[in-house]
Amino acid sequence: MTVREGGLPAVRGLADPVALRGRVAPSRVLFGPHVTNLGVRRALSPRHVAYYARRAAGGAGVIVTETASVHGSDRPYERAPLAADCAPGWRAVVDACRPALVLAGLGHAGAQGSSAYDQQALWAPSRVADVASREVPMEMEQPEIDALVAGFATAAGLAVAAGCDGVEIDAGQHSLLRQFLSGLTNHRTDAYADRDRLLREVLAAVRSSIGDRHVLGLRLCCDELAPWAGITPDSAAATLTSACHDADYVVPVRGSGLSVWATRPDLHTPPGFNTVLCARIRNTAAGAHGCAEQRVVLQGSVVDPVAAQAALDDRVCDLVEMTRAQITEPDLVAHVRAGTPERIRPCTLSNQHSTVLDVRNPVVSDEAEPDAGHETDPVPAPDGPARDVLVVGGGPAGLEAARVLGAAGHRVRLVEAAPVVGGALLLAAAVTGRERMGLLVPWWTAELARLGVRVETGVRVSVDDLDTATGDGTAVLLATGSRPGPLAWTGDAPALAAAEFEAAVLAGSVDAALPPGPVVVHDPLGDWTGVGIAEQLAAAGRATVLVTPDPVAGTQLARTGDLAPANARLDRAGVVRALHSRLRHAGAGRARLEHVWTGQSRVVECAAVVDCGHRLPADELWRARPHLPRAGDCVAPRTVYEAVLEGRRAAVEAVLC
Amino acid sequence: MLNDPIRLGSLTLRNRVVFPAHLTNFAEDGLPTAQHAAYYAARAAGGAGLVITEEHGVDPHDRPYEKLIHASDAALPGYRAITAAVHAHGAAVLAQLTHNGGQSSGMYSRRPVHAPSPVPDPLFREVPVELDAVGIARIVDGYAATAARCVAGGFDGVELQGAHSSLIRQFLSPATNRRADAHGRDRDRFLLDVVAAVRAAIGPDRVLGVRLCGDEGIEHGIGIDDAVATARRLRDTGTVDYLNTAIGVATSTLYLVEASLRFPPGYALSVPAAIRAAVDLPVVGVGRFTTPADAERALTQGHCDLVGVVRGQIAEPAFASAPVRACVGCNQECVGRVGRNRWLGCAVNPRAGRESVALPAPGVGRRVLVVGAGPGGLRAAATAAARGHRVELYERDDTTGGAVRLAAAAPGRAEFGRVVHDLLAECRAAGVEIRTGVDVDAALVERVAPDVVVLATGARARRPGWAVDGVVDVRDVLSGRLDAVTSPGDRVLVYDELGFHQAPAAAEWLAARGCTVEIMTPGMVVAQDLGTTLDMELFHRRAHAAGITLTTDRMVTGAVGGASAGPEVTVLHHTVGTVERRRYDLVVTVVPPTPDDALWAALRGGPRPVHRVGDCLAPRRVHAAVAEGDRVAVGL
Repeated sequence: MTVREGGLPAVRGLADPVALRGRVAPSRVLFGPHVTNLGVRRALSPRHVAYYARRAAGGAGVIVTETASVHGSDRPYERAPLAADCAPGWRAVVDACRPALVLAGLGHAGAQGSSAYDQQALWAPSRVADVASREVPMEMEQPEIDALVAGFATAAGLAVAAGCDGVEIDAGQHSLLRQFLSGLTNHRTDAYADRDRLLREVLAAVRSSIGDRHVLGLRLCCDELAPWAGITPDSAAATLTSACHDADYVVPVRGSGLSVWATRPDLHTPPGFNTVLCARIRNTAAGAHGCAEQRVVLQGSVVDPVAAQAALDDRVCDLVEMTRAQITEPDLVAHVRAGTPERIRPCTLSNQHSTVLDVRNPVVSDEAEPDAGHETDPVPAPDGPARDVLVVGGGPAGLEAARVLGAAGHRVRLVEAAPVVGGALLLAAAVTGRERMGLLVPWWTAELARLGVRVETGVRVSVDDLDTATGDGTAVLLATGSRPGPLAWTGDAPALAAAEFEAAVLAGSVDAALPPGPVVVHDPLGDWTGVGIAEQLAAAGRATVLVTPDPVAGTQLARTGDLAPANARLDRAGVVRALHSRLRHAGAGRARLEHVWTGQSRVVECAAVVDCGHRLPADELWRARPHLPRAGDCVAPRTVYEAVLEGRRAAVEAVLC
Repeated sequence: MLNDPIRLGSLTLRNRVVFPAHLTNFAEDGLPTAQHAAYYAARAAGGAGLVITEEHGVDPHDRPYEKLIHASDAALPGYRAITAAVHAHGAAVLAQLTHNGGQSSGMYSRRPVHAPSPVPDPLFREVPVELDAVGIARIVDGYAATAARCVAGGFDGVELQGAHSSLIRQFLSPATNRRADAHGRDRDRFLLDVVAAVRAAIGPDRVLGVRLCGDEGIEHGIGIDDAVATARRLRDTGTVDYLNTAIGVATSTLYLVEASLRFPPGYALSVPAAIRAAVDLPVVGVGRFTTPADAERALTQGHCDLVGVVRGQIAEPAFASAPVRACVGCNQECVGRVGRNRWLGCAVNPRAGRESVALPAPGVGRRVLVVGAGPGGLRAAATAAARGHRVELYERDDTTGGAVRLAAAAPGRAEFGRVVHDLLAECRAAGVEIRTGVDVDAALVERVAPDVVVLATGARARRPGWAVDGVVDVRDVLSGRLDAVTSPGDRVLVYDELGFHQAPAAAEWLAARGCTVEIMTPGMVVAQDLGTTLDMELFHRRAHAAGITLTTDRMVTGAVGGASAGPEVTVLHHTVGTVERRRYDLVVTVVPPTPDDALWAALRGGPRPVHRVGDCLAPRRVHAAVAEGDRVAVGL
């Protein structure tokens, strides 16, 4: 039983069982439905099964599978599951996940879907184009509405016949049911001008289909962040009272087609942002249906078990959805149960790999747990007779390599040239809004201490040191990071590499590092670095110009959901975005930019440049001893994900020889 | 000339029409599919002399996009299916081989990418690992092994991709090869190594071709002199049978590779012409040939020995024999889909990309009334009539073409009108009875008494709630109705919610008449979807030259006045929340139109089946109308 601070037993522990419709979930932690791209065509795959089973084995109480389309008119992305194709997959997930409860996520994306795959008009309550695709949907008439309701009922019947404990109906941000609930998208004048009506019909049909022994969950948008016409907490409370008696639990979520990013926002939004909304909805549910009947689930970047327990204790909710936290740490509940919450791998909420609704079909994963989504083909542990291992470099690659080597029983010494470990990750977490990236460093440090890894900082390793180590039979692994690349512009303007700027932020010495005056941030990459640095500079009161070759700033943020918010933040901060532009020359207080297509030149004031261009591997040691395994940026400068993955692989390689 | 046979090494082709390599995204799990075989077979059946399949990877770690055909023995059955299907129609078939090198990412492979030098590609932006001698040798071996497998799978030979997206190009180009070793001092060396290894692998009797880029269109890139010098050395090996040509780089100057209708046919012919003048190997020229006459001209003028036609044969598989429709260079469903990881399609050929899906046998001949002669109605009528139905097509306007007619009225986009021209020809050939100037209502349908009705009645302009005097629809501009109203110097706002060709077209039209034009969008990018059709670069150049201002992140929320001074609009800068008022002489709205579905409302639920296609169902782009028209007609 979980114990709260002060030693009082918690009545409703996060890791304790909870009943839903007479079925017992082993914990109050829900793994919510999300896009994985693990499917084979439109069916759930063995990779899905392994992915969910891993979280169930780690203690998840309720697993809701990836939302399946209930009707052939819906194919929101290429590998979107289709309920009619999912029965074998659901059965396999159920079999693999016991004792967790398994619910089938069911939905229809409506106008937020895609007509690209099956080339049919999108369905919607009214002819309102989705903001992202700009595609005008067809207005559903009664035959389509009847087919949709029947589709939900049929799909739910299939799911419970396949052994699922029930279903979760999606009326959340990305759903046709929300589009009917919202004044933004429902302009009908017929009976469905009663915007709750379709949801009421669907829930009744689903309940009738699954009977009263199976769980009916509801993911409900309770705030579209568009009060002029959208769903508000008030309107959602009314919907809950009038339309949702059939639901055994409700997951209040937020966001609309205008704010897709708001549902599972990245690390710029503080965790637990839905707490107030959830408490409000729970009060409504209690008032409308009696507290014991309808459970409420807290969703919204909940990543910390302490905060989750507090929400349970404060009666904000009855269960907690911790989806991204369990992508990062499948054993989250197990650690809570074992009294070792400090061992939980922190979820950065960077969304760099957990958010995969992208035409390229990337597979769901996590930058600090690259086996996520790859459960059927994990990196093996570096097993074998215990050896002495020297890990050179204490950035993410070196830290992860040392961690898995230590966990496998090897005697590991990690040396880092800088006074502290963390490497490029410390720098990446330095700028405003990106602090959560840094949470991994203390976790690694604590894990290495627990595993008995010797960590030495301020130690520079020479080629002779490598030879001495290998001569002694010590395995050696190189993770020496990166160095700045060549500048792509001319001129003598004072220039800092992005990493140097970030180091100055950490040291509190930005004004010492950069001469006074306007700063040009040169960003040919369009990832989080340039945007974060521009925000940091603007917050420090510097006039800032962000130079990008792209049509928007931070194009690579499209996947994380931060693209539109980042550009809006830059706008609000007064950062000038020089789009479609290349920095050609900087000096004498000015920078000359050139339009990438028209060649038009423009001049902006520029006291200094922060250059966010490509970096190069710091691979001097490897070039001297190229037979040694290496990992991360010293192979090719990329992101934390590649560093961690290669750290694990290099660990195996290092102890093999 | 186009129909003259030609020898490539030991192989004789029946004519000079080549279906060159291009991505299709038909592969599943890295393997060729039945769709590949059906797709290539259709072009062979249509008369192409040589089919070159899309690229095959030579290294399992090279995973630039999801649906690449991988280097694997498991591909052999698929190879055999493709080669048998193409050979059955009398065409030759080669496999293209490539390694994408640094024009790739680790997204699928979860491995670093490799390249001659650690110079990141401008699209993928991932720093590659510099290849070492062992890595180079391993990849050369991979080319040889894949070539041998292709030959075993029945291919007549292979083409080495040395242009577009390829490690060979990256070695050839000074922009990406900064090596100091032998492969840097002689940038041709990697290609020559691969040629030698592949020739050894496939033996003397199979065809070996190389595709070279004659102009990368980038700073420090390959120019024509480099390409000619490389061509000479390839000729000197005595083992290369032909040279194919290209212009542009697949990731940074793609708009030159798959040029839109803004580029004339044969725009890239300077490359084969220069190479042909220098070496005596057969040379393939490419570059947006949309008709056999274009292709013939390239040959008769001596620019090349063979003509590569990709999009012309996607749109019309019978390009080389009996073409009835032409590619219009819209790039909407071929380039626009493939770049987004979707199977290749075509705006004017609804069967493209679906060749392996068998059509149901035509049913009993029925009397079909099609209402509306836009692309959806024309397609439905043509397909239905060709499948044995008796089709009457009624159009309310005096002319056919619907929304395509206006789209083709845009400056520089007349070729788009070819869609209607070709559909009309198909309708006539199939015996469709077309009547214009007939406004169809329920009573008329009753009198005609068809077995089935297909509605393709299109959409009409929608006036936003805030519109006042001086606010007009984009259709008013493109139809020429405004010519008398606007004067030079007028300040015009083109307010765009569609993000495609409409707003740029109107803006350029007005700017050409001397107006001061601003395009404003609530989105983050003006005319965003021009990026998918590769029209963005040239649009920016034209807009810059015409002084058109581009404004993003702003919504019009209201307007007042208008009679004398022009409308004053209220503009919300929604990212920051500020509101301002701006006065213009004219405001042009580019917003989703409203389906014209009065006839649907009158007929639905009635005694005879009624179908809707195109904009009257939901206003979208031409491909939706054409695809739905075809689908409904096939299902009759």
